[in-house]
Amino acid sequence: MLYLMDLWETVRDFVATGGDVLFVVAGALLLMWILMIERYWYLSWVFPTERKAIIAKWDARTDTTSWTAHRIRDYWIAEANDNLSARMIIIRTLVAMCPLIGLLGTVTGMIAVFEIMAVQGTGNPRLMASGISMATIPTMAGMVAALSGVFFSSRLEAKVKMAKASLVDSLPHH
Amino acid sequence: MKQLTKSIMFAAALTVSAGAAMPVMADNAQTLDQLLQQVKKDRISEKKVNKKREAEFLSDRSKMQSRLNKSESDLAASVQRGEDLKAAFSANEQTIVDKETELENAKGTLGEMFGVVRQASGEAVGRISTSVVSAQYPNRTQLLEKLSEAKKLPSLVELEDLWFALQTEMTESGKVVRFKTDVTKLDGNVVSEEIIRIGSFGLIGEEGFLRYDAENEQVQPLGRQPDSHMVSSTKSFLDVQSGLAPLYIDPSRGQILGLLTQKATLTERYHEGGVVGYIITAVLFIGLLIALERIIVLTLMGGKIRAQLKNLSNPSDKNPLGRILKVGQENKDADVETLELKLDEAVLRELPKIERGVSLIKIFAAIAPLLGLLGTVTGMIGTFQSITLFGTGDPKIMAGSISMALVTTAQGLIAALPLILAHSLAAGRAKTILSTLDERSAGIVAAHAEQEKA
Repeated sequence: MLYLMDLWETVRDFVATGGDVLFVVAGALLLMWILMIERYWYLSWVFPTERKAIIAKWDARTDTTSWTAHRIRDYWIAEANDNLSARMIIIRTLVAMCPLIGLLGTVTGMIAVFEIMAVQGTGNPRLMASGISMATIPTMAGMVAALSGVFFSSRLEAKVKMAKASLVDSLPHH
Repeated sequence: MKQLTKSIMFAAALTVSAGAAMPVMADNAQTLDQLLQQVKKDRISEKKVNKKREAEFLSDRSKMQSRLNKSESDLAASVQRGEDLKAAFSANEQTIVDKETELENAKGTLGEMFGVVRQASGEAVGRISTSVVSAQYPNRTQLLEKLSEAKKLPSLVELEDLWFALQTEMTESGKVVRFKTDVTKLDGNVVSEEIIRIGSFGLIGEEGFLRYDAENEQVQPLGRQPDSHMVSSTKSFLDVQSGLAPLYIDPSRGQILGLLTQKATLTERYHEGGVVGYIITAVLFIGLLIALERIIVLTLMGGKIRAQLKNLSNPSDKNPLGRILKVGQENKDADVETLELKLDEAVLRELPKIERGVSLIKIFAAIAPLLGLLGTVTGMIGTFQSITLFGTGDPKIMAGSISMALVTTAQGLIAALPLILAHSLAAGRAKTILSTLDERSAGIVAAHAEQEKA
């Protein structure tokens, strides 16, 4: 419990020195990871059963060579692909947004620095340091958030592509 | 020759006698003998005169001698007096030293106490004059000021007053008191108002936090109140009559609140962005409106398409899938290639309605940070212009246009972020509908045909 309180204090300190932009970064990061975990869950638990159902339906068909059969096969593949790549655009957008939010923090922090300069002059570097930490910490947080997203989201995209390809291969047509 | 010499000598003698005693003798001495006689006679009278003068001189000399003697004795007396005074002076000096030591001994530790009193009252002046307790009890600083500047020992009464002043401050700083006083409003009007003093930390009134202006001895509302949740806590605190209530206080006794008044508000910050800032706002609003319209339209369209998917036998004209299905139904007896062409044509007809506006949002999202960059550059131009005019000596002059540069950058980013998110939402919706129409519609038609056949 004490350890948790300590941890919470550390987080609060971090947020206090980094400024309010960190909340936006945290929100984007949270949303991104919720969506990515949902995708992983879908890929590893839901999609295999769907895939099996589609393959079974295809295998049960007597006619797999006519025009209608090909169109129906395309329809099933497209439907599965839509389900696979649902929300991938949002994930990719969030990954791209994280450094931008960090940049926003940089700019607001610099505004704080120049505001202090306008009021107090350049005589007191300690006062300016708070603004500078408000500028640099969100940048770092945005970068870390984006980096954590870049790796996993590109892995997800590759997985989606592979899942679709393997589904296409599992539905033989002549 | 002789004659000549004689006459010259005569002339010389004449001249000489004429120069010396001629006037006296000239009258009496007619001849040289007479002259001789007269000279002899005169010598006797001269002698008499000289004698007389000599006698006079001698008498003068003795007079002078006596004066000299008198002066000498005067000098000696003065020298003696000087010696006496010098001795008296050094004796007095010694007495002063003795008396001073005597005084020091007599004062004992009182001297230290005097220093302590001066120091304590000097400190108390600074603290008490700026303390908010002075708003309730004015005119407390005169005595302390007198004590802190006094050159002589304080009297017992003054010492007691100092004690009372310090203890009043101490006791009052522990109280939360409600009292009536004159509040000078921001428009200059003086209104008598009931306010609350929280120890020596601050004053709160109807308008929220108040400050005490020690120079003019006035209670004034803050020029700019802090965040509204802090001000609302003062409002609820004013209504509380007894018991405990939460309240935000300034532990630095007003300094932090004073600094807060210098901080720019969000609206002031926004207006620092200038024309570029307003353009960015316009871009954000137009972009968001387009995005909102697109998201609503596409969501409704998606819903209708889903409803149509459940009811394939009755294609309706009110959704894109229905129109495509209708084309499929109308051409179900045609050959496969014609049917496919007709379906593709129907899909192509639907495309513009779905894709319209989505790329526009993306363009707006890309324009916003670029406009922010434009603002940055114009702000930096302003900065360098002010450097050209005023030099780099005063950072305050430069800070204005630098903050404009940064504010527009921030505005560009703030506008871009929601637009990017909105675009990805709209694009996601559009993509789902497009794939339904483009890739699945033929399959749906085919499945429907198979079902009918079976």
